[in-house]
Amino acid sequence: MDTASLTTSLIAALPEVFLACAGIFILMVGVFSGARATHTAMLLSVAALVGALVLVLFGPSRAAFAFNDLFVNDGFGDFMKIVVLGAAALTLIISFGYIRREQLDRFEYPVLLVFAVVGMLMMISANDLISLYVGLELQSLALYVVAAFRRDTLRSSEAGLKYFLLGALSSGMMLYGMSLVYGFTGTTSFTVLADHFAGQAAAGQELWLGALVGLVFVVAGLAFKISAVPFHMWTPDVYEGAPTSVTAFFAAAPKVAAMALVVRVLMGPFGAWVEQWQQIVVFVSIASMLLGALAAIQQTNIKRLMAYSSIGHVGYALVGLAAGTEAGIRGVAIYMAIYVLMTIGTFACILCMRQKERMVEGIDDLKGLSKTHPLMALALAIFMFSMAGIPPMAGFFGKIYVFLPAIEAGLYALAVIGVLTSVVACYYYLRIVKLMYFDEPAEGFDRPVGREVGAVIAGTAVLVLFFFVAPGPLVDGAAAAADAFFAVAG
Amino acid sequence: MAAAGKADARVPTYARAVVLLPAALFVWFSTMIPAVSGGAVLTWEIAWLPQLGIAFGFIVDGLSLLFALLITGIGTFILLYASEYMRGYPQVDRFTLFLVAFMLSMLGLVLSDNLIVLFVFWELTTITSFLLIGYTHEDAAARRSALQGLFVTAAGGLAMLAGFILLGQAAGTYSLREILADPGGLVGHPDYLVILILILCGAFTKSAQFPFHFWLPNAMAAPTPVSAYLHSATMVKAGVFLLARLTPVLGDTEVWMATLTIFGAVTTVYASAIALTRTDLKQVLAYTTVMALGACVMFLGAPTRAEAGEPSIGLIAAVTFVFVHALYKAALFMVAGNIDHEAGTRELPQLGGLRRLMPLSFFAAALAAFSMAGVPPFVGFVGKELLYKGALAWPAEPYVAVAAIVAAKIMMVTAALLVAVVPFFGSAEKLPKRAHEAPWTMWIGPVVLGVVALLGGMLPDLTAEMLLLPAAAAVMGYQPDYEVKLWHGVNIPLLLSVFTVVTGALIFWKRAVLLDALRSAVQRLPLTGDRAYDAVMTWIADLAAWQTRWLQGGVQRRYILVVFVTLGLSVAVTLVARDAVVLPAAFPEASFVEWSVAALIVAATFVTLIADSRLLAICALGVVGAGVALIFLLFGAPDVAMTQLLVETLVVVIVAIVLLKLPDFRGERRPTARGRWRDGLVAGLVGVSTTLVLLAVTAEPPQQAITDYFEETSMPGGFGRNIVNVILVDFRALDTLGEIAVVAVAGVAAYALIMLRPRRRTRPDTAGRPDRKGAAS
Repeated sequence: MDTASLTTSLIAALPEVFLACAGIFILMVGVFSGARATHTAMLLSVAALVGALVLVLFGPSRAAFAFNDLFVNDGFGDFMKIVVLGAAALTLIISFGYIRREQLDRFEYPVLLVFAVVGMLMMISANDLISLYVGLELQSLALYVVAAFRRDTLRSSEAGLKYFLLGALSSGMMLYGMSLVYGFTGTTSFTVLADHFAGQAAAGQELWLGALVGLVFVVAGLAFKISAVPFHMWTPDVYEGAPTSVTAFFAAAPKVAAMALVVRVLMGPFGAWVEQWQQIVVFVSIASMLLGALAAIQQTNIKRLMAYSSIGHVGYALVGLAAGTEAGIRGVAIYMAIYVLMTIGTFACILCMRQKERMVEGIDDLKGLSKTHPLMALALAIFMFSMAGIPPMAGFFGKIYVFLPAIEAGLYALAVIGVLTSVVACYYYLRIVKLMYFDEPAEGFDRPVGREVGAVIAGTAVLVLFFFVAPGPLVDGAAAAADAFFAVAG
Repeated sequence: MAAAGKADARVPTYARAVVLLPAALFVWFSTMIPAVSGGAVLTWEIAWLPQLGIAFGFIVDGLSLLFALLITGIGTFILLYASEYMRGYPQVDRFTLFLVAFMLSMLGLVLSDNLIVLFVFWELTTITSFLLIGYTHEDAAARRSALQGLFVTAAGGLAMLAGFILLGQAAGTYSLREILADPGGLVGHPDYLVILILILCGAFTKSAQFPFHFWLPNAMAAPTPVSAYLHSATMVKAGVFLLARLTPVLGDTEVWMATLTIFGAVTTVYASAIALTRTDLKQVLAYTTVMALGACVMFLGAPTRAEAGEPSIGLIAAVTFVFVHALYKAALFMVAGNIDHEAGTRELPQLGGLRRLMPLSFFAAALAAFSMAGVPPFVGFVGKELLYKGALAWPAEPYVAVAAIVAAKIMMVTAALLVAVVPFFGSAEKLPKRAHEAPWTMWIGPVVLGVVALLGGMLPDLTAEMLLLPAAAAVMGYQPDYEVKLWHGVNIPLLLSVFTVVTGALIFWKRAVLLDALRSAVQRLPLTGDRAYDAVMTWIADLAAWQTRWLQGGVQRRYILVVFVTLGLSVAVTLVARDAVVLPAAFPEASFVEWSVAALIVAATFVTLIADSRLLAICALGVVGAGVALIFLLFGAPDVAMTQLLVETLVVVIVAIVLLKLPDFRGERRPTARGRWRDGLVAGLVGVSTTLVLLAVTAEPPQQAITDYFEETSMPGGFGRNIVNVILVDFRALDTLGEIAVVAVAGVAAYALIMLRPRRRTRPDTAGRPDRKGAAS
């Protein structure tokens, strides 16, 4: 690689490069500054994430391919990066107060999250099995550590260990699958693979069995990362065990990045073989929606409930992917963006659930919230209605945008099951609304909730509630993302 | 219930002032009557989701205007009534807000032009209904009913959404106006049946058709103004409205007619029979509401044109009956509320003698009951004549329709007598408290509605021309040429009418015997919707509990088990689906040494499984690895064998060191015999499917490009025969350098960590509990 192309490549990956350098810089600042290290590191991390966001949005124009085609820039990637960076920044902002109060304030925390985000950006832009894996592992390793960040509690350590073991297993499966794909095609580049498979499909040949088995293993590994059933087992335990601010992060940014990666892999190199992976995606989607809806009913811990809820939402997002069309990808992009908004808002509320200086996590602790904290109850009710997919909240439109393409693609069974599971899911979302509005108040939560948390709750609630007034920008952006993706993938 | 209200509490001003909103809307809609009855269709529209072709549009035609007038007109009286009825209840502001929100959503529902917008309003009425039923939330029954109503109607609503989307796809537009402008295009569409079933799910759940009817009587836990408004006059009619709205595009087919007739007929007969078995005034009214909805649905199943091009009397009857029923049922509910409020009970056996105590309520109840029983000259009579006429004009087998409607109507007469006679005559001794007439705000509504029912019957042609025929025109898709009259002369419908009233009165007279028999018969019904609902709910909860207990019990071994089961199955399914299963030869050719190594591996695996100590298990596992290394060696890959052996040794050593730190098996739950079988089965599944994959994959010619490339270039390019070595130090030299660097950095870090440990031990204050401040301090 000569200097000129290296420069072009570095500029093409400018947001990632910037964020990685910022991460190292913040690490240094943290090591060498004293008592205020964590606060400074947190502020700098938020600034770095926002900076990367600005670079994605307004930075210099970036080449489409970089680093010998290992790295790709397109509208889809940009859209997903914006969502990831926004989600990461917001989750960091809402955890300021939490990590201080819970004595988790070590400066490594934001640094690890920044590195995880670098990994996510790499995943989103991966155009090669190798760069995909590197990005994925960078993300995962950072997340393994933060899951067990509170080493002094058994639950957190156990969560981290479980996550690590199952994560390593899934990485192994994915690598095995990749090696099969590589062995049968002789390349790891998405571009070459796509051409290869498209040619094979055009010639009327069948996909090689080896590559097909490889695909199955890769999808299994990816399913773990988006916590789709049956690779979801880690989710409830980790969500419950990890510190709440970490859970909020887990539920938002990595989900989006992993979903982007799934779309990238399946629609990119394997785009010509939609009918081969469609059944897998349909199965995983149905299983996730069913489990997400049914298992959540009996939960008493709000973090576990959110874990099942996130599993269900992944199932809905996969409905759009199962369609395998441009409209379907647009649906996935919209769904993930709306999902992130609802999730961050909900977790901001959960982070406020403190009684007498202690965090509480029981769903019953929300009883009568409408009387003790009317505004927070209103916001949480909006999020719950939205997650249940009840119009006119944003969540309803997210569902519309994924179900329409699925119906257009003739996946009626998928759409019907999706609709039925959302009815069951209504049960537990609305139960929370019922608890807040109909039941007699339990002990109120501690005040003040913190300005930054309040602002995030209010902002996300307003966006979720009034999405229907001006859905244009998000929908257009997602449409452009899907369009650009199809244009690049051919 | 009445106890909750405090008589001396002030009625808030806003509760009275808000009445002006529906009143103003009513007047506004009334001004549209001349234009709409002339056949005009008024529309408004703003763009909303242009990417999906969804616009926010409203349309006013005969059908939606009839509903809009009912919603705003009855809404005016209900809000007035509620302001008094809810006096002294907690959070009246919230109640009023919900009620107004419901009214506006219901208006939106009937006026929407776009299917998606219609659905949004449809669900909004469901939510507001949920909030209103659960209003008395300290009552467990109310909470359950609220949730039940929500589930049943929301489930149906979502099915309906799927139907709407399919309908929109099939028609190419989501605008009702455009869909209705081109009727007939959908009936032959391949998705017609699916669309129909999904939309019927929505309509039947909302309008409480058998077998989904059970939520409606339970919804009577709501305060009476809500029952009168939502659960009899307006919201439950939404399903009927939707069916009427879509009749021009979906109707007139065999399945449409058969389904609507059968479900409607069963509902109407079943519900009217149940109505007679109830003793709670509101329950009686609730079941007669279900009966009326069944009749509406049944008559919407009539063909849009009778024989010889005559207008369809069935459809005119359906529309008329919606109007008639809304008037008398709202009035009766409000009277029932008055009785409950003033006399302290709604139980028929306790009630009596209120005629003198509550004369105005009695007057209103009598008017409404006459209309309900279908006595001339009330509008109910007009409606009933039309029903009979429509049933007689049924295309095939009119007897079924006639029998159903006559049976239902007979029981309706009895029910009307139960409601209007029992509480007002007889003795007032059993009343729990001294009753007196309700305040004017509570009797004005029923009286006005009763008078309207009377006037509507006396001036049938005016009512028909202003309201009913334009609405029927919208349902039929053409202007009907029909004259509605009170007196048609002596004909079969009139004879049927006389028969109905007389029989109904006879049953009422002999009610002590007959109704008891009916009650005991009903109690023997094996499966009711309510019980089925409970069974489903329990089943779902049990499933969730099982999932949490078994799958998500926090046991890592089980998690891994699930992952491996899935993996094994998906690989096996892939193989079978591709028909690529390659069975190995029965006795592959192999030397003695090879067989021995294989036997060694199998034996070591077995030892791993049955080992009693961890150390033995890990050693046996090491032997398995060593055996694999031997196989590599035998097949001419010494470098790979070398690596394998090294890694294997390292793993055994490291794991053994870790194990020394762990407690032994004691105190840990040992797997049971069944558990071992299960694990063995899963392991076998994964092992066999992976082996089959290997066999199948190697049976196909792999891509040779990589191997060829390295074989050709390793000697000239890297001057080495060992391809693996050449790759490591020549082709991928930079990567190897990177790897070495990473290993070195990791080593330094490990060293730093190890050196850190003793220093932390020396701090006694943090030795016991782990460091909280961490590196920052």
